[in-house]
Amino acid sequence: MTGSLSGVASVIGIGQSDWVGDHKRVRAGERPHDSYGYGAQAFLSALADSGIARDEIDGLIVGPTTAYERVGELLGLNVRWGGQADAMTAVMEACMAIRAGLASVVALVYGNDQRSAQVNYGGPDAQGGGAFLAYVYHAPWGFTSQGALYAMMARRYMHERGLTQAELGEVAVAQRLAASRNPRALMRKPITVEDYLASPFICEPLHLFDYCLINDGGVALIIAEAGKARRAGRAPVAIKGVGRYDLNRGATSLEPRLLDYYLPAQQAVAAQVFEMASLGPKDMDALQIYDSFSLHIPLALEGYGYCPVGGAGQFMRETGISLAKGLPVNTSGGHLSESYMQGWNHQIEAVRQVRGEAGDHQVEGCRHVHYSSDVAGKAISIIYGA
Amino acid sequence: MANSQPVVALYDAPMWESLSRERMQLQSCGHCGTLRYPPGPICTTCTSLDYRWTDLSGGGEILSWVRFHRAYFDDHPPPYNAVAVRLDEGPIVVSNLIGPEPEGEWIGRRVSLVYRRHLDRTQHAFMLSEQP
Ligand SMILES: [Zn+2]
Repeated sequence: MTGSLSGVASVIGIGQSDWVGDHKRVRAGERPHDSYGYGAQAFLSALADSGIARDEIDGLIVGPTTAYERVGELLGLNVRWGGQADAMTAVMEACMAIRAGLASVVALVYGNDQRSAQVNYGGPDAQGGGAFLAYVYHAPWGFTSQGALYAMMARRYMHERGLTQAELGEVAVAQRLAASRNPRALMRKPITVEDYLASPFICEPLHLFDYCLINDGGVALIIAEAGKARRAGRAPVAIKGVGRYDLNRGATSLEPRLLDYYLPAQQAVAAQVFEMASLGPKDMDALQIYDSFSLHIPLALEGYGYCPVGGAGQFMRETGISLAKGLPVNTSGGHLSESYMQGWNHQIEAVRQVRGEAGDHQVEGCRHVHYSSDVAGKAISIIYGA
Repeated sequence: MANSQPVVALYDAPMWESLSRERMQLQSCGHCGTLRYPPGPICTTCTSLDYRWTDLSGGGEILSWVRFHRAYFDDHPPPYNAVAVRLDEGPIVVSNLIGPEPEGEWIGRRVSLVYRRHLDRTQHAFMLSEQP
């Protein structure tokens, strides 16, 4: 494929802050670090993991919650190229910059103090409304919070596609099982579908266990040009494919959510990413799916062809989506049970799985991991491979 | 917490003014007739910049609904519902269903636009239509 980004770059280092330890401290009323501090800790751990020297880094992308220049200043990074992006866009842009020759080693640094800073995702100060009008436009009717948008979507999706509440509960149950085997996860006590159904509604039909956590932390990745990555100290994990398609039309009035469930975007991305990687759904050993809410999982399973459209409920219930059964999804516990790092924790989990370093939550013989997000109709996919 | 606030950007203001007169209007495209919601400077269907403000028939159908069990605003104590209504003229609006709630399935039920004073503003709400 002309201009393909397949195999152009590899992840050579991953790092994170101490999510579990800091969560305890925040719950005890402390503010251990700010967003920059969490990002700095994650960066140091990724740099150590990569084995390269700091002055080899010539590109920098920071997460949406920190200022680009200040992160560069704090980490002492003068670079040739840089910017600010969410997790999935950052990985894609790093590949693009490397392909274009604008950078050869890009550090991706994310830090977020959303819990200790008491960030609200709903109500009068709803976060994100500057970028996504739907987050604030329906406030006069009390319709607020990203969870409510997914609840509205879930209700109609369940009606049209026949997904039951108990089938949706399979997501929270599977991810909690993964988290129970992951020492980096915040919520490790296993739950059952019965526990799920008995948990309180936040915005009905979504229960408490359908919602992501809110916690502080940082994540970092070091992405290098493939040749350079091979010469670095350890086994690189290749980025084999990336794809993106956005549904913007009718976004504020919820049309792509309520009429399409983002399906056309995901199908367009599936075609791009699988072709670029010369792989298909059957080659994927694990999925990491951006899960601010559980509903993302059935949407992605259908959108990327892991099951027929309308078949996600049956797939989750019968085939399975856990480390115990079927196709493992969100093998670290994801946003629901591991840590809410806005898609960044999924990237480092994908790398750990391909490296075979995931410990008790390792998928045996894992060679390829598919990452998917459909946040606000922006469908993005990345395929990681050995 | 605090009270909910409408977003009133340049093109929203005439819509809110029409609500205050209890005669809700939206922009109708001068070229293809598509209605704009939220109000805006350009037709998303045909890109025409022309429009005129037109009355709504008030009829619609419930596409989906939720019930909030958590408080987000002082002026919306839980539990309360929100509905996504497809207006007969095309746009989808998010609102509240007031009056009797449907027995059984909400999705697909016909609803009619009504006006409600809320804080210092008049906003739309919907009620179940009479069964034919
Ligand atoms: Zn038009």
